Amino acid sequence: MITRLARARVFDPVNGARGETRDLFFEDGVMIAAPAGGVDRSYDLDGLVVMPGAIDIHSHIAGGKVNLARLLMSEDHRGAPVARGAATRAGGGVATPSSFVTGYRYAALGYTAAFEPAMVPSNARSAHLEMADLPIVDKGAYLMLGNDELLLRLIASGADQERINDYVAWMLHATAALGVKTVNPGGISAFKFNARGLAIDEPGPQHALTPRRIIQALARAVFELGVPHPLHTHCNNLGIPGNIDTTLATIAAAEGFPLHLTHAQFHSYGTEGDRRFSSAAARLAEAVNRSRNVSLDVGQIMFGQTVTASGDTMAQYRNRDLASPDKWIVMDIECDGGCGLVPFRYRDGNFVNALQWTIGLELFLLIEDPWRVFLTTDHPNGAPFTCYPHLIRLLMDRGFRNDCLKSIHPAAQQATTLGSIAREYTLEEIAITTRAAPARILGLAGHGHLGPGACADIAVYADEADRERMFAAPRQLFKNGVEIARAGDILATPDGATHVVRPEFDPAIEAEIGAFFDRHMSVGLGHFRLSEGELADAGLNLLAQPCRPRRRA
Amino acid sequence: MPGRAIACPFCGLVCDDLLLDEGRVDTRGCAKGAAGFARRPAIVEHRINGRAASLGEAAAAAAGLLGAARLPLVTGLAADVAGLRALVGLADRLGAVIDRWQSAAQQTNLSLLQRAGALAATFAEIANRADVVLLIGNDPTPSQPRFFERLLRNRGALYRQAPPYVAFLGPEAAMPGDAAVSERVPVNEDALLDALSALAALGEGRKLAASASLPLVALGELADRLATAHYGAVVWDIAAFPPAARAPALAILLRMMRRLARRTRCVGLPLGGEDNAQGAAQVMLWQAGWPGRLSFAGGVPQHDPWRNHAQRLLAAGEADALLWVAALSAAPAPECGVPTVALLAADAPAARAEVEIRVGIPGLDHGGAVMRADTVVALPLAPARPSGLPSVAAAARAILAHLLATP
Repeated sequence: MITRLARARVFDPVNGARGETRDLFFEDGVMIAAPAGGVDRSYDLDGLVVMPGAIDIHSHIAGGKVNLARLLMSEDHRGAPVARGAATRAGGGVATPSSFVTGYRYAALGYTAAFEPAMVPSNARSAHLEMADLPIVDKGAYLMLGNDELLLRLIASGADQERINDYVAWMLHATAALGVKTVNPGGISAFKFNARGLAIDEPGPQHALTPRRIIQALARAVFELGVPHPLHTHCNNLGIPGNIDTTLATIAAAEGFPLHLTHAQFHSYGTEGDRRFSSAAARLAEAVNRSRNVSLDVGQIMFGQTVTASGDTMAQYRNRDLASPDKWIVMDIECDGGCGLVPFRYRDGNFVNALQWTIGLELFLLIEDPWRVFLTTDHPNGAPFTCYPHLIRLLMDRGFRNDCLKSIHPAAQQATTLGSIAREYTLEEIAITTRAAPARILGLAGHGHLGPGACADIAVYADEADRERMFAAPRQLFKNGVEIARAGDILATPDGATHVVRPEFDPAIEAEIGAFFDRHMSVGLGHFRLSEGELADAGLNLLAQPCRPRRRA
Repeated sequence: MPGRAIACPFCGLVCDDLLLDEGRVDTRGCAKGAAGFARRPAIVEHRINGRAASLGEAAAAAAGLLGAARLPLVTGLAADVAGLRALVGLADRLGAVIDRWQSAAQQTNLSLLQRAGALAATFAEIANRADVVLLIGNDPTPSQPRFFERLLRNRGALYRQAPPYVAFLGPEAAMPGDAAVSERVPVNEDALLDALSALAALGEGRKLAASASLPLVALGELADRLATAHYGAVVWDIAAFPPAARAPALAILLRMMRRLARRTRCVGLPLGGEDNAQGAAQVMLWQAGWPGRLSFAGGVPQHDPWRNHAQRLLAAGEADALLWVAALSAAPAPECGVPTVALLAADAPAARAEVEIRVGIPGLDHGGAVMRADTVVALPLAPARPSGLPSVAAAARAILAHLLATP
């Protein structure tokens, strides 16, 4: 079936469309050039704005940690139940939405993909089974490495990079992951030995290994394996005043290999001022502007109730006294990771929270290249993803931003340069940072653009002056050519794809991993590894993105 | 070693080193696993009012019966993850209450998580790291026969240099005989909460007056052991406490672990996880936001530990239809006066049920996945003795299809 979207104002940065009015065509689920013959279905969009479906590169949407967050946040579910509909399941929650509701809400915001950024290796099966119940959007997961005992041993014992690459590749296959994430490299393991902090050049307690070496090994492995997405890095010392030094040292540690800094807002803190807490956004932005190998997602905070859900047990334990409501969970996991849940209420009248809000916005506005900065709230850690339309308005509307600035803690207003920043994101830049750039940095062929051959993942918006209203209620959403949502109503709930990578490796590594599992772990290698059959049985539709092995010249 | 390694779904440990060889399963000495894998089908036909029926006919009859009810109850829930995913969907569509049957202990543990949180660890952390382990309330062996072997007597621990110091605090009758246990502190059931309070108070450095009913010297030594541990682990069976003592006992335990964690590490692990109990809690959590005691009757998920308690609903006559699910176990449907659909393993006796659908046992008749008691790890099951019996998921989906087809 051929569909025409007539008279669309198209924002498709990959194909150079900057709001020109034209017709778009797709056949079944794929974009095509204007066909010679007729079409089967036509929508006259009469100047409505059209963009590729949006892609969230960092959102905690599934896995044991997310489920524990749901359990802990019973108020969130009691307060915001969602009724079943003709085509939809019941559920609920705002900060910790149930799996089906997560899919519906993303679709209702014009999103067609979202990626779980912290899958613990031992939790992979459970995380994928859960994502099988997350409809509509494409999904995938980044595998948490860098605190897993076998990797630490390999690095500490001087294993050559090839073996480390083989190990990383084997783990990506075994867990059906799309990329590699490192969380407080070495720090989660150190916390299990009762260390309460770990600096980037501090030897860890078990193997005398520094976070710097772990970052180097993993960033290089990801590059050489040809995994499209750079090492997704949650730096050491999250949330600590002065951690900008760690963040800049992390960039240096990557030694020019591609590096993605995640929720950078939480890692951009200085120690200036009476309160010994200040914005270092300008310093990070400057570093990113001159380091072409570095990208980041912001992890913007918004004022209100949420829960922080993180693999970083060391940081979560440190923040336990800030829990609001006063309850928290910290869990050590299988000698390969951990998780911590701390409910949080960000307050505009709190100096630290207010400054966090300005720091995130400063990062968005001071980093020049929209292809290397990504719109996230680190859902739910900074705020639920449903805040994105509000965040987009803050970026696009300086008057609105400065009005909001007037309502935060006065000392934070004094401390920030935000009010003097004139930049406003354009619709084209929003299309880059939420669609084209995420697809490119994740290596999702056929996503994030609307050229012939691309997936017909299309969001249609009314061009309203109030950008929050505009992005909160797309007029239509198509996923693989199927009309999913219209004016906020969900019409259909097909399953999206699960994106994975399958890099090449020397299978000899498997004997080494198997011996380690047999001797020390609570599951055997054959059961740790997910099979394609079981994933298909669970209803997952795996889509492997190509990897091209690389060597640095 | 002949055979291929398979996982065992018959307790919360979900050991995955059993060996399948030409249809025989070496359960590594575990009698509970052996009994599970020895289950043989007795009745394989589906029945409607006692008469043989096809799966399609039985599913249609089940949909009619459940769809006509005002408040159907979906319980038992001894199923694999795929079965549970389908059952929660079915409950949503029916506007039913869904809850496990023997859920009291699990619900108590989950309530504390909901209200206060947890310090927790998974099996491999405890097996590789814990140097002091305190077992409270009950010998884990009857429910998890290889508990000591897998978690405390394991060889090749990564981080602890010697076997852990293991202490037991609980009734004489429930004392573990396992050689791994270094210290046994007898306290009868009625005094268990007081003993826990005393242990916590002594750990805080408080002085307690001598007591005839409490072994204060031994408790003081235990408190010191936990305080000086590198990585302490507390393992409890909450069902060993009198019902009124359970919630306070958990609150004291969590407070004690949090105090210890200020200076050293201390983690907790509740015993449980039978019949994929964690799988049920996890699936309900991700699909609907609540771990059990869940009602879809109002069109939205509602959690109420008292109102939506399966046993209470049936006893009080509030549920007017029952969907009973027992695949991992062969538990018969409870005696009740309401119309019943039973999804039963083929070794369960004939049920007093209007509709009886015989389903496969996950890990025997078909593959699947179940979750361990420590919640993080799901393990795949092999069809150790494949048969054509439908899975719970297939049966539930068939019922749902009939419901959707008849508006």
